[in-house]
Amino acid sequence: MDSKKFAEPSARPTRAPTPVKIVIAGGFGVGKTTAVSAISEIRPLTTEAAMTSVATDIDRTGHVPTKTTTTVALDFGCITIDRDIKLYLFGTPGQDRFGFMWNDLSQGALGALVIVDTRRLEDCYPAVDYFEQIGLPLVVAINLFDGSLTHDIEDVRWALTIADETPLITFDARNKLSVRDALLAVLRRTREQAKARTGG
Amino acid sequence: MTDEIPGLRPPSPIRPYLAGHGEDQLQQPNDPDVSPLRPYLLTSGRAEPVDDTLEIEAQILTSERGMASHERLAFEHRDIVTLCTTTMSVAEVAAKLRLHIGVARVLVADLAAAGYLTIWRPGSGLSEDLDMIERVIRGLQEIR
Repeated sequence: MDSKKFAEPSARPTRAPTPVKIVIAGGFGVGKTTAVSAISEIRPLTTEAAMTSVATDIDRTGHVPTKTTTTVALDFGCITIDRDIKLYLFGTPGQDRFGFMWNDLSQGALGALVIVDTRRLEDCYPAVDYFEQIGLPLVVAINLFDGSLTHDIEDVRWALTIADETPLITFDARNKLSVRDALLAVLRRTREQAKARTGG
Repeated sequence: MTDEIPGLRPPSPIRPYLAGHGEDQLQQPNDPDVSPLRPYLLTSGRAEPVDDTLEIEAQILTSERGMASHERLAFEHRDIVTLCTTTMSVAEVAAKLRLHIGVARVLVADLAAAGYLTIWRPGSGLSEDLDMIERVIRGLQEIR
């Protein structure tokens, strides 16, 4: 049997860093995990998320579910901002059918970075729609896979029909500093929206 | 403080649905908490945490009470209490114990309600907290 295996830690923490988070969304293969890996100070972790709303119904009625449970991977990493703040980055698939997960993810988030691949623009529509709808500060970032933008950025903005005030940027998901700048763009947008709301 | 544990059944090494001795009970579990959904076996079928607002980035740490009583806990609870001797998020618990994030939320909320874990939550209104936003911006700018 297990014996008592805890050595009493000498300096037991009495407080923990305040966790803040930014959601990174976009279609499959668009570079979400790459972006998290590029900047995270821990090796990105993966967990699974399931369709919890379906499970709740089962509990209540005792019936066998008619829908199957969808499981999706949720990748995340983190960055220590200072002694008191830890920034978490959650990368989530942006397809419509995974919308259930966005509630949990967006609750309390500072903002969202939606990554797009100009070859598959439509993959990011559900994410953009969702974040606009709930009023979460949002930046759309075109991942430059080959280092150059093949379209005029204003054409991309037109095709995405994103709000004029939503920043549209380009970045390289493999490059740490480029990811940092994309996250900074999100936070500046968050600051702008916070000031507008608080009248500051 | 009493030893009564709100929101948590007494820890038992036997899964709830195996506890009955009668054949009827085994064949037709009448416990509404028992679900056919596999991931939620660990949570007795509950998909919603005691506190369903628990953020997946919330920081958790095993309390002294958790350390003292981990031997008496059911294995899924014990794993969490053993893991969280350093502070980490609910999401990290899920990843490290290979649990669905929803299952991890339920288990963590149970353990916290019972006083076995300490939770630090992000607090509300962070996205409008200009001081917090500025600090995160400065922190990111430090990255070279």
